[in-house]
Amino acid sequence: MASTNEITTPLFSAVSGSARQLFQLLRCINFVSKAQVRITKEGLRFTVEESQVMQGVVVLDKALFTAYTYAPPAPNEDEDEEDAESPSFQISLSSLLETLQIFGINDVKDRWSNREIGHNGMNGFSARGGSAGVFENRVLGMNGICRLNYAAIGEPLCIILEETGVTTTCELVTYEPEYQEDIPLQKDAIAQKIIMRASWLHDAINELSSTSPTRLTIVSSPTAPYFTLSSSGPLGSATVEFTNDPQLLETFQVPRRTANTYKYTLIKGASRAMALATKVSIRSDEQGVLSLQFMIEADGGGISFVDFRFVPFITEDGEGDEESEIGEAEGFR
Amino acid sequence: MMHTLSFTLTLKGVVRIHDAVLCLAKFSEVVSLEARRDKLVLTALNSSKSAYASFSLDKSVFFDKYNFNPGLSKGQTPEDAESRFTCHLYNKALLSVFKGRLGDVKDKDTAVERCECHIQERPDKTECRLIVKMVCRHGVIKTYKLTYESVEVMHALFNKNAANNTWTISASTLRSFAEYFGANTEQLDISSANGRATFTSYTEKVVNGQDVLKQPLQTSITIDNLDFEDFAVEEQLHIGISVKDFKAIVTHAETLKTSITALYSFPTQPMQLSYCEYGMQCEFTLMTIGDYRGGSVTPAPAPVRQMSAAPAERPQPLQSTAQIPPVTTLQKSTTMPPPSEPASRSFTREPQSQRIQRPSPPPPKASLDPESLFIPIDEDEDRVWGERNYDDERDMLGWDASANNASDLDGMRKGTASSSRLEPYRPWQEDLSSRIAPTQRISDIKTLFD
Repeated sequence: MASTNEITTPLFSAVSGSARQLFQLLRCINFVSKAQVRITKEGLRFTVEESQVMQGVVVLDKALFTAYTYAPPAPNEDEDEEDAESPSFQISLSSLLETLQIFGINDVKDRWSNREIGHNGMNGFSARGGSAGVFENRVLGMNGICRLNYAAIGEPLCIILEETGVTTTCELVTYEPEYQEDIPLQKDAIAQKIIMRASWLHDAINELSSTSPTRLTIVSSPTAPYFTLSSSGPLGSATVEFTNDPQLLETFQVPRRTANTYKYTLIKGASRAMALATKVSIRSDEQGVLSLQFMIEADGGGISFVDFRFVPFITEDGEGDEESEIGEAEGFR
Repeated sequence: MMHTLSFTLTLKGVVRIHDAVLCLAKFSEVVSLEARRDKLVLTALNSSKSAYASFSLDKSVFFDKYNFNPGLSKGQTPEDAESRFTCHLYNKALLSVFKGRLGDVKDKDTAVERCECHIQERPDKTECRLIVKMVCRHGVIKTYKLTYESVEVMHALFNKNAANNTWTISASTLRSFAEYFGANTEQLDISSANGRATFTSYTEKVVNGQDVLKQPLQTSITIDNLDFEDFAVEEQLHIGISVKDFKAIVTHAETLKTSITALYSFPTQPMQLSYCEYGMQCEFTLMTIGDYRGGSVTPAPAPVRQMSAAPAERPQPLQSTAQIPPVTTLQKSTTMPPPSEPASRSFTREPQSQRIQRPSPPPPKASLDPESLFIPIDEDEDRVWGERNYDDERDMLGWDASANNASDLDGMRKGTASSSRLEPYRPWQEDLSSRIAPTQRISDIKTLFD
């Protein structure tokens, strides 16, 4: 389907200075094997879904890339669906992550290379000339250059990684996109909105794991106890309670008491994002759909968001049907 | 009858409870909790009832606050010794609550500031819950409700008066020994001779039936008695305990940077290892194995073998003559001539008269004797745990099952002073008539073990 001149101008190509950054963000949603990718003008949107009750979204914003070109095909040719506007495909997330860390991602290595740079400086980099100078990639923070290339619909996603003169080219097979519906969050009927440090949520969720629970209950109330997470299992129950101290809960907007129960293991699936993020916005709507939006500060200083949505267990009296269609969430406004 | 128990711990106390629970986990998956007016006792008894661990936490030293009000039944006075609260908890549950919060000591945002615990026994609420409330910085409160089982708790009895052998040594020294013991070794033999003490780890298990080379490593560590803080042990006495228990104990003791005291009488009698620090009295009662040969008093019937103190491989099948009673020795040597071995390793060829200064640990007991097929099984020998005579138990690792029902115990152990059994921590008066004279045959020694 791709014509010859499209090979020279691929549908999408991008260059990132830090494969590590992409890796860290995508790893947050690594709870299922396949991710749905949509390419837009603003960035790459990765969506993963678990049994239609949990959804994780990472947007690799244009700003994360040093170069970002998206050339949408002319809509008159080929099939003229809405797909033509934003091409999407499925990709194996685990393979993509494996690829991105092909040169190793860990901090230890970075520290080691920093030390080496210091050593070079001591000896005088001019003596080494060439690549060892001030313009060395590592000095510029350019280690692990990563190029993404997607020639046309149906083509593999090509990832080229470069580090210290070694280049790796990986081609990841893309799969037909699946029809996917976002879990809707009724933004006009938000029942609770809490912003807090993500590490505290992480700590609380870990604390509850002691009871090996199946369910997690989140209760927020305008009076004490303000915000509690609780779970119970065969060995007993555990509760973590937060006061509405502004030092603790930066934002606390709870007009009335809400209580919802979610599957514990699903919430636990977001723990990597909890560990990485600085802040989390916890929102839920009247129906109990929970949105966890994590603000992740990258090493370079940029900010990225990782979104999770969870469908609650149906309570005894009400029902938890989801109807409306909601797109992206901006919880930090 | 309703008890009220509540106590408050500092972060250090939380960490110490965690260490204790971690140690108890090596013995059993269940922790027994016993509250008394003056102390809280955490104990564990292993499944084969051969090892018992107890941590007794002092009311005023260990706890910030401690309050226990026994619920009294009719006619009881608060002075009654029975006024105690006992229950069972899953170790896993306790461990996850008191889990490694050592990192919290540093600058963690939600560090535990104090820990408040109480039991919920009121009939109008959910019963049988131990409620642990961790109050953290910034007003974060973590509450756990752990289900417990309200049962009577048993404690091991240990007769300190009969324990004429004792030594004390720093825990870190013992801990460093434990690092040399092979991963597959099971038994630890402790012996002393000529001013030196030897710790030998070995196993009775042959990894692969034929393969001599695959036999696990045996490690002997010999140290001078002067390295002990205190040493008074009968010469040539060999006593065996489990390596696993030993490791669990010394690992915990080392965290307290304390010294361990051992007390024991002779093999097949319990050994007690104990230490006390920060208001925490730690006691371990372990069943011991070994042939009681009367030590230096009576010559052993078996030849004493020369052996290097250094780690050495020990071929198992050759040693049978060493531990089987004289009755079967002749028979055995005719039916099963030992295969040829390097002379240095051969135990059977040593001249009988040769007395060696540092004998190796007693050879494996018959439980997994590879030659058992060739030896007529004598029911009276009692060399296998399962064949022991349980009816005649006098000098035994006893259990204080219930302070209220001492009469039940009396029915089981006639002839012992029943009043002394009420208080498990009181030294226990031994009925001397039940003591076995050291000159008896091995086979006459009944094992005294519950």
